[in-house]
Amino acid sequence: MVMKNPKLARVAKGARLELVPLQVLVPVVSTIIALGIGLLIIAATGASVLEAIEAFWDGMAGSDFNIGASINRAISLALVGLGFIFASRANLTNVGGEGQIAMGGMFATAAALHGAGDLPLGLAFIVPLAVGTIAGAVWGGLAGFLKAARGTNEVISTLLLSFIALPLVYWSVESFHLLRKPISDVSSLPESAEIPDTTKLPLLFPDNGSPLHIGLLIAAIAVVVVWLVLKHSTLGLRLRAVGLNATASRRAGMRTSFYVILAMTVSGGLGGLGGAIMILGQQFYLTSDFSSGYGFDGLVVGLLSRGSAVGVVIGALLFGFLRSGSINMEISAHVPSAVVLICQGLIVIVIAGSAILTNRKVTR
Amino acid sequence: MIDEQMAVFIGSGLRLAVPIIFAATGEMLSERAGVLNLSLDGMMLMSAFTAALASWATGSPLLGVAAGVLVAMAVAAVQAVLSVTLRANQLVVGIGFNILALGSTTFLYREIFGPLSRDPIPGFAQLNLPWLAHIPVIGPALANQTGLAYVSILMVVVTWLILKYTSFGLAVRAVGEDPRAADKAGISVAKTRYLGVLYAGILAGLGGAFMSVADSNTFTENMTKGAGYLAITAVIFGGWNPWYTLAACLLFGFATALQFLVPALQLDVPVALLLLLPYLLALVAIAGFVGKSRQPSALTIPFERGG
Repeated sequence: MVMKNPKLARVAKGARLELVPLQVLVPVVSTIIALGIGLLIIAATGASVLEAIEAFWDGMAGSDFNIGASINRAISLALVGLGFIFASRANLTNVGGEGQIAMGGMFATAAALHGAGDLPLGLAFIVPLAVGTIAGAVWGGLAGFLKAARGTNEVISTLLLSFIALPLVYWSVESFHLLRKPISDVSSLPESAEIPDTTKLPLLFPDNGSPLHIGLLIAAIAVVVVWLVLKHSTLGLRLRAVGLNATASRRAGMRTSFYVILAMTVSGGLGGLGGAIMILGQQFYLTSDFSSGYGFDGLVVGLLSRGSAVGVVIGALLFGFLRSGSINMEISAHVPSAVVLICQGLIVIVIAGSAILTNRKVTR
Repeated sequence: MIDEQMAVFIGSGLRLAVPIIFAATGEMLSERAGVLNLSLDGMMLMSAFTAALASWATGSPLLGVAAGVLVAMAVAAVQAVLSVTLRANQLVVGIGFNILALGSTTFLYREIFGPLSRDPIPGFAQLNLPWLAHIPVIGPALANQTGLAYVSILMVVVTWLILKYTSFGLAVRAVGEDPRAADKAGISVAKTRYLGVLYAGILAGLGGAFMSVADSNTFTENMTKGAGYLAITAVIFGGWNPWYTLAACLLFGFATALQFLVPALQLDVPVALLLLLPYLLALVAIAGFVGKSRQPSALTIPFERGG
């Protein structure tokens, strides 16, 4: 990546310009191929492909309610995806989205249940959102700190932190001393009580039955801010410099540890905000597996976007709608939603495998 | 009463450790060659499913294990192509495979076993070795294991011998530490890494097959429950040394078994804390707070000749 002479740099720049379409082409083509394989699998089971597609479409966008629910899913995925690209700007791979969502959701629930409900002026939901964001930020920042202070590989530490966070959520809904709701009848499940109405995110269109909430505005702001910071700020440039060459950055007088911790803290904070929005926006009470799969979906969204905030929005919408569709496909067309997991896995593998196409010419 | 519970605890701790021992031992060798297979969990899950399917279809658990290992090797082969030849990001590829394995096994399980998921599949019998059973306390637990469990310890010995005393082992270590020098010395970096990944695939396959065919005689969705990640953690915890890795696997096995023992002894310790214990230990270990271990220098770094 380091260009030795200006001539070579110009050639490389030319190559990069050519590559822009390829960087869009690869994710698009692999997504189409993966979805095609998904359809083949559905056909192979003997289920009616048309019926499956119909159920899929209905689940994604069949009604105002379904569209709202799909976009709500996309909001959290987009925030995790933004976190991923923020960290990857500093060449850090945050695969701990699941844990950061879990911590964000858990602490947001705790804040909503214990005190925030009586706050005035919208603080009732703003405070839990902030608490969730901070929880995620701490969880991500911890990995950044370990990287900066001890040289611990952030991929492994974020993964381990996820495996630590999930039992913590489980504990919080299992124990009556923590967040579990008091048993009211024999069928009481291990889950928290429902959060107060005042702490639920206000709906954007309360009249038409759509569950779409103001999380959409929060996510939109986050997209713009992350885009501005990464593309048009000194901070973005510094993160990039630290990621590309930590030693050179240090010699140039930058506190590289600070930027590593900052990148992971912001990344984790976005994941925590995503988790908080899941609870305050749609689920309203904490269950032990509320974050299930969102972390990896968000990671895939971040990967697909290739570092672009706009790409994150497209990817998040794609996966938000895919998930809603797959759930309905399972319910009404009896096609296992695992087909969508297969497609997602294929997309990740193909894109990772084709990185050689999109990166190679730049390094040469 | 307490004795009996201890015997059950030790027995279940060992059984829970076996799949991790298999997977971690293979992964250790692959990582020594410089390739990290985050797809380990996917390999195990695919093998667990295939072994259950083949054992059910043929009535032979041995054929089941063989089929499981073959599928895990196939996954390993693709992982090797991607991470060695195409120089893809090893971690991202691994996560992709794990998602794919979860999706495909869940899907196939529902399609094939859906209606008859309650029937146990043919599995291995416990060996019940009399000379082991006479050892006090741990004897019965050691003796009441399937043959495959003993194979896992055998594989640790074999892997240790390969790494220490064979030319292939030397090549593995050289390629993981300094691929350029190894290449100049005439060792094929790509070939060594391919073999390392395939070796990890074979052992992960054995570990996955153990779960379905030897341990539980059934397949359940996502039955590895992250055992592959635990195995990778054990390798790090064990400082890339076969014996320390074995010790880490046993520790994880017993830590997991504690969640059954603690309620039985009516101790008031939250199960969740026991569940996260192995990962917390691992995090402390990789942060370098327990002894100083050094990972192979070229771990996760693709090699490009003459670059």
